[in-house]
Amino acid sequence: MQLIILTFGFILLTIAVYFAMTVLYMKVHLPFLVPIITTTIVIIVILVLFNIPYETYMFGGQWIDKLLGPAVVSLAIPLYKQRDLLKRQIYPIITGVLVGCLTGMVTGVWLAKSAGFSKELVLSILPKSITTPIAMQIATQVGGIPALSAVFVIIAGISGVLLSHYFLAFFKLDSTLGRGIGLGVATHAIGTSKAIEYGEQEASLSSVAMTLSAIFGSLLGPMIALLFY
Amino acid sequence: MNILIKLIQVAFLYGFYVIGSWLHDFFHIPLPGSIIGLLLVWGALSTNLLKLKWIESGAHSLLSVLPIFFIPATVAIMNYGHFFSGKGSLLIPITIVSTFLTMGVASFISQSIAKRLDKRKEESECN
Repeated sequence: MQLIILTFGFILLTIAVYFAMTVLYMKVHLPFLVPIITTTIVIIVILVLFNIPYETYMFGGQWIDKLLGPAVVSLAIPLYKQRDLLKRQIYPIITGVLVGCLTGMVTGVWLAKSAGFSKELVLSILPKSITTPIAMQIATQVGGIPALSAVFVIIAGISGVLLSHYFLAFFKLDSTLGRGIGLGVATHAIGTSKAIEYGEQEASLSSVAMTLSAIFGSLLGPMIALLFY
Repeated sequence: MNILIKLIQVAFLYGFYVIGSWLHDFFHIPLPGSIIGLLLVWGALSTNLLKLKWIESGAHSLLSVLPIFFIPATVAIMNYGHFFSGKGSLLIPITIVSTFLTMGVASFISQSIAKRLDKRKEESECN
C-alpha cells in the first residue's frame, strides 16, 4: 500500500512541479527559467528537505523515465517532416557535427587532464556531449565511470539550455542551422527539448545532430582516449 | 476518443522503442534502443510503410512535454554532490567551457559552410 502511495505521489509531484514551472516560464520568459532546470531544482530541494533518498523518489520517477524512450522515438516525426531541409543542408550538417563532436571530446579530456584529474575521471568526462545511454557505453569502453559520465552529460545539457540563448546570440550563431546543430551536438536530447522552442526546423536539425553525434562519438571516442593515454 | 487515439499512438511508439532496444541487445549495435527506434520510424515513414497520421498526434503529445521525461535522470545529480566538492568543483566549469566550445564550433562550421554553398549557388545561377 505504502509503495503505491509513494509511486503515485512522486509521479504526481513531478507532473505538478513541471506544470507549475512551465506556467512560470510562460509568464516570465527568461531563458534560465526553463522548466527542465527549475523542476529539477524544486524536486531536489523537496527531497533534501524531507530527507527522501533519490532511490525512493524513483519508485515514481522510473515510470516517467520509461516514457523517455518513446519520446526520443517521436523525434523521428520532425526529422521526417523536415527531410527536404536536411537533404539540402547535408554537407554543413555532417561537417558541423563531426568537428563539433571531436571538439567536445578533445577539449573535455584535455582540460580535465591539464587540471590534474585522475585518468578515470578524465575519461568519464570524454563523452559528456553525447546522449546519456551512449555516453555511458562509451565510458565503459574507454575506462571511465558510466554513472559519473551520466552526470557530466546532464551538466553539459543543463548549462547548454541555461546559457545557449545568450551564447548563440552573442556570437551571431543564430541562424536556424547554427542553433539546431549547435544545440544538438553540444547538449544532446536536453538541448533538443530547448530547440523545439525555436521551431520544427531547429528541432529536426538538433535531433539529427544528436543522432549523428552519438554515432560519431561511439566510433571516435576510443581513439580520442588512446590519443591522451 | 481523441485521448484514446493518442494513447494508442504512444503505445505504438513505445513498441518501436522496445524493438529498438531488442535490436540493440541482440545485435550489439552501439546505439541505444531509443535512437534505433527513431531511425526505424524515420525509415518506415520515408518508405511509406508507416503513415504520418498513424503516429503524429501521439508523438506530438510526447514532444510537447519532452523535458519532463528527463527529470528523473537530472534529479539523480543529488547523489553525486561529493564528487564535486573541493577540487572536484573544477569539473563543472571544465564541462561548461568544453560544452560551449563544442556548441560554438559546431554551430559556426555548419553555418559558414551553408553560407558558402549558398553563395556558390547564387554565383552559378548568375553566370
